[in-house]
This record gives sequence, structure tokens and C-alpha cells, in this order.
Amino acid sequence: MAEVVITARGVTKQFDGLVASSNVNFEICVGDTVGIIGPNGAGKSTFFNLLTGLYIPDSGTITYFGKDITKMPPHDRVGLGIVRTFQLVSVFDTMTVLENMMLARIRFDGTYGKKRFFLRNLLKSREVDGCMKALDTIGIAGKCDVKVSDLPYGKKRELEIAIALSMDPKLLLLDEPLAGMSMVEITEIMDIIKGLKSKLTIVLVEHKISKILDLVDTLYVMHEGQIICSGEPNMVICDPAVKECYFGRDNVCY
Amino acid sequence: MLKILNNSVAFAIGVIVVGFVAFAYSASVNKITDFVIFCIYVLGFDVLYGHMGRISFGHTLYLGAGAYGAAMCAKYLVPDPFLAMAMGIAAGAFLGLIIGPIAVKTKGAAFALINVAFNQIGYFIVLVALARYTGGEDGVSLTFNSYGFVNFGNIHFLFAFCLTCLVAVYYLMHRLYGSAFGIMLLGIKENETRVRFLGYNTSAYKWVAFIISTSVSAFAGALFVINYGFANPGFMDPARNVEVIFAALIGGPGTELGAVVGGTAYMVISNYLAKYIARWEMFLGAALLIIAFGFRKGIMGYVRELVEKRIKANAMAAEK
Ligand SMILES: Nc1ncnc2c1ncn2[C@@H]1O[C@H](COP(=O)(O)OP(=O)(O)OP(=O)(O)O)[C@@H](O)[C@H]1O
Ligand SMILES: [Mg+2]
Repeated sequence: MAEVVITARGVTKQFDGLVASSNVNFEICVGDTVGIIGPNGAGKSTFFNLLTGLYIPDSGTITYFGKDITKMPPHDRVGLGIVRTFQLVSVFDTMTVLENMMLARIRFDGTYGKKRFFLRNLLKSREVDGCMKALDTIGIAGKCDVKVSDLPYGKKRELEIAIALSMDPKLLLLDEPLAGMSMVEITEIMDIIKGLKSKLTIVLVEHKISKILDLVDTLYVMHEGQIICSGEPNMVICDPAVKECYFGRDNVCY
Repeated sequence: MLKILNNSVAFAIGVIVVGFVAFAYSASVNKITDFVIFCIYVLGFDVLYGHMGRISFGHTLYLGAGAYGAAMCAKYLVPDPFLAMAMGIAAGAFLGLIIGPIAVKTKGAAFALINVAFNQIGYFIVLVALARYTGGEDGVSLTFNSYGFVNFGNIHFLFAFCLTCLVAVYYLMHRLYGSAFGIMLLGIKENETRVRFLGYNTSAYKWVAFIISTSVSAFAGALFVINYGFANPGFMDPARNVEVIFAALIGGPGTELGAVVGGTAYMVISNYLAKYIARWEMFLGAALLIIAFGFRKGIMGYVRELVEKRIKANAMAAEK
């Protein structure tokens, strides 16, 4: 039995009476790739926010390699290797591609936390460890001096994934990595994720279910804050409860 | 040209030095010394505003802390100008140290107002609570020791000294903004949550930036006291915060040169326009409106945009 990476036990989060996450139990083992699907507003992103520390659950616990991290601040979780991307692409528009990457990589630089952190001219020296390598893996190294606001949407998303990968993740949480991407870009991203599958533990929220069926080992379905079904992907999507939450009871009646 | 704007700090410093010396000796050395010190203050303010995206409506607290730190040192300890400066900076740093953790948790209006609140408290303290020591409304007047040519009573020495300080602070800021820390501040300005999810404890960095800002502002306060030979509650008056905000806005927040240009522009307007127009503040208000609606990037931002456009056009032409 492989080691468990992250566990959520009875995790609940309310927003002004709206239960966005309701008694969620979740577990992922080292090396697994897990998908989470569910209709809009099901609570998938909220669950990511709970795992990564943007929100603190009202009740329940989250453990990471056996350690209770329920109330740990986000930056400390990142330090432990919990790395995420955002549903709405979240990179720094006012900076260049390289500067974005530098910001992510400074933490790994030998001078981090030292005097030179404040005074070394980063923009001129351009030598933060591992930046170019990370941009290279995702194929945007040639664009390193382009301002991010001038990049097309798909490239921004790729940059965000490159940044996430550059941060030595142990657990990678991707919130709808395929949303808004062209067919070509989807293929590129899928190839990247497939390449990572053997090296990393990945949780993937996605609406394009057909794309991830073959990729994930386990599929969870969320609906109204609850996990209503989980298991082998092709079995899960045939589950009547899952069909109902996607197509709605009303539609079935008509 | 953009390269010069971006990189050549030596060029910018040259322009500042030559500009101020020429200005001082064609107008009034006394007055321009004031301008120079004010520019240091704007540089301090802009750490938070231009770089971290936090606008403080209470920055005269830190200017005043520097002023009173220096004044109290000179009055009750020793009238040594350098010790007074050190005490002024220490006072500002101390305030940054204790107010910082509370203030940097907030942004937008809350940040602006928290600073005003502390500003009011500070104003009350120097005006009323500690009036026995600070001289209340009248303030205190001071004389400082002089050592040979190191004589702060000599306007030429004082001017040269303040200009050197401006250059030093300018250079320090330049280094800071080009560093990892500077990039991180810009990141915090744009999207703080994202910076946290890169694994950084943003509160700590914001706190450091806050202390840098209050210390530099306090330094300016201490220099003002040495320049005027007195300290009074006017230095800490919350109503005077608009001055530094206006200066930062007009010059272009987020660039070192912008702070200096804005500081000078504000001082020129308030010193010279006031001579010709009795209610010049009205024009200040109108100018603020224009900046807020049509000129958000300030003078330096505008210059930069023009240059960037030219370069892009040139590059396009070269491609064809
Ligand atoms: N910060 C918040 N404040 C109030 N309500 C929130 C907040 N975050 C999420 N919600 C609500 O919680 C519910 C779940 O939202 P969430 O973003 O987790 O859904 P999702 O499954 O990611 O949906 P989508 O597929 O559209 O991304 C929604 O009804 C949403 O409006
Ligand atoms: Mg979502």
C-alpha cells in the first residue's frame, strides 16, 4: 500500500449559510493521479482552496504525510510541496515571462533570505537558478522577455503550469488546466501532464471529462459541496447519481 | 532611450544633481534644499504606494516622527546633527516596526485610514500629551553643533549634504527595486494571493517594506528639522498628507525618478504658484482631478509610454 500524501477528513466550509464544502473525505496516495469533476458551483475550487490554505475549514482536518496542516498558512504548505494553479489564470501581467519565473524561483536561490536578496540586481543579472530550464520544459523559453500581458491566454496558462512545476511540487493541484485552451494547446498540456504522471502526485479539476478519463486513476464527483461518487473513472461516469447531477432531475422528467 | 530610463541610474543621478545645483543657484539655495528633502520624503512614501500598491493617508506621522526624534535628541541629549538624524530615523523605524504588522494586513481604504488614525494619535501626542517636552503648538527651536566645515548652519554645506542624501536614498531605492525583494513587492501589488502561493510569507515582506518607507520618511523629517532649526506639530499634521500623495501621483508612482520629478513639481507649484495666485490650493485640487482621471501614470509614466511606443514603432519598421 503506497503512502498517503494528503487526507481530508470531514472537511466542511460555509459561506454565509451556503455550504460550499460539506463533510468531504478525500485521500490520495503517492504517485496517483486523481480527477475531480462536478457541475458549476459544486465546490471543487473551494476544496482546492481548503487543501492549499486559502480558506480554513469550519470543521474537519487535513493532513499531509501524516502531519496536521488544517490551519497552516498557504506559504508554509507551498514550502512542503503543495503547489497549485488557479482556475482563473493567475500570473503577473505587469512582468515579463522571465520575471514571473524568477519570482517563483528566488526561494530556491542560494541568496534567498540573505543580504543580496535585497540588493542584487536581479533584472540585470537574470541568473536565478532553474528559470530557463523550467521555461524550456513547457516550450516558452523563447518568450522570456515578453510582457505577460502581451501573451495569448493559452500561453499564460502554460506559463502558470511551468511556474508550478518549477517549484519542486510533491503534490500538484491543477484547477481546470484545459479551460479556455485551443485544441493544439490542450494536446500540449495533456502531454505535459502525462509526462508528469509517473513523477508526481496530481489532483486535477476538470470540466472536459472525456479528456481526463484515461489519464486519472480515480475520479471523484462533487455536487453541492459533497463527494457523491468516487472510483474507477469509467465506472463513475456511468453512475446514475452522477448522470442526474449533471443533467438534472428536471431534465429527466421532461 | 528606454534603456537609459530603466538602467542608467548614473544618468538619472547626474540629471538630479546637475538639475538641483542649477536650480538652487539660480533661484534660492535655501528653498531648493527644502525641495531636495521633500523628494526624499516622496521616495519613502512611494515604496508603499508605487511599489506595494498601498496608499497611506497618514505618512506625515513618520515624517513628524523623524522631525521630533531629531529635535528631542538635539534638545535633551546632545545637539549633534548626525546623532539627531540617527534618532529621527530610529523613531521612524520604530513606528514602522510596531504599526507595520497591523497596517500591512489591510489594503485600499483600510490601509489609508489606519495610517490616518495613527497619524491623529501622533499629532495629539506631540501637540498636547507631551507638550511639556515638545513645546506644544509652538514647537522647539534648535541649534546644532558644527565641526569645522561640517556646519549645518551654512546653507551651501547643508544643500550639498541634503543632495548627497537624496542621491544615496535614490541609489538605495534603485538597488532595492531591481532586487528579488523589489520584484516581490510588485507581485504583491498586482496579486498578493498569488505571491503567497509561490511560497512567500508576504506579510513579512510587506512589513519590511513598511519599515523602509517609514524610516526614509523619518529621515526626511530629521533633515527638515536641521534645515529649519525648529520642529513644530506642522510636520505631523494629518491635513498635510495630500502634499506627498499629490507629489507621488504627479511624478508617476513606481519609479524612483518619478518620485523626484513629482516632489520637485509639487514644490515648484506650492512655492511659486502661491506667489501669484492667492488660492492656489484650488488649482491643486483641479490638477488632482485631472491626474486621477486622465493621467494616472504621472509625468514619468507618460514619458516612458511615449518612449516605449517609439521603440515599438521602430522595431516594426525594422521588421519590414
Ligand atoms: N469566497 C467565497 N465567498 C462566498 N461564496 C463562495 C466563495 N467561494 C466560493 N463560493 C461559493 O461556493 C460554491 C462553490 O464554488 P466553487 O468555486 O468551489 O465551485 P466549482 O465547483 O469550482 O465551480 P466551477 O466549475 O464553476 O469552477 C459556489 O456557490 C460559490 O458561489
Ligand atoms: Mg472552480
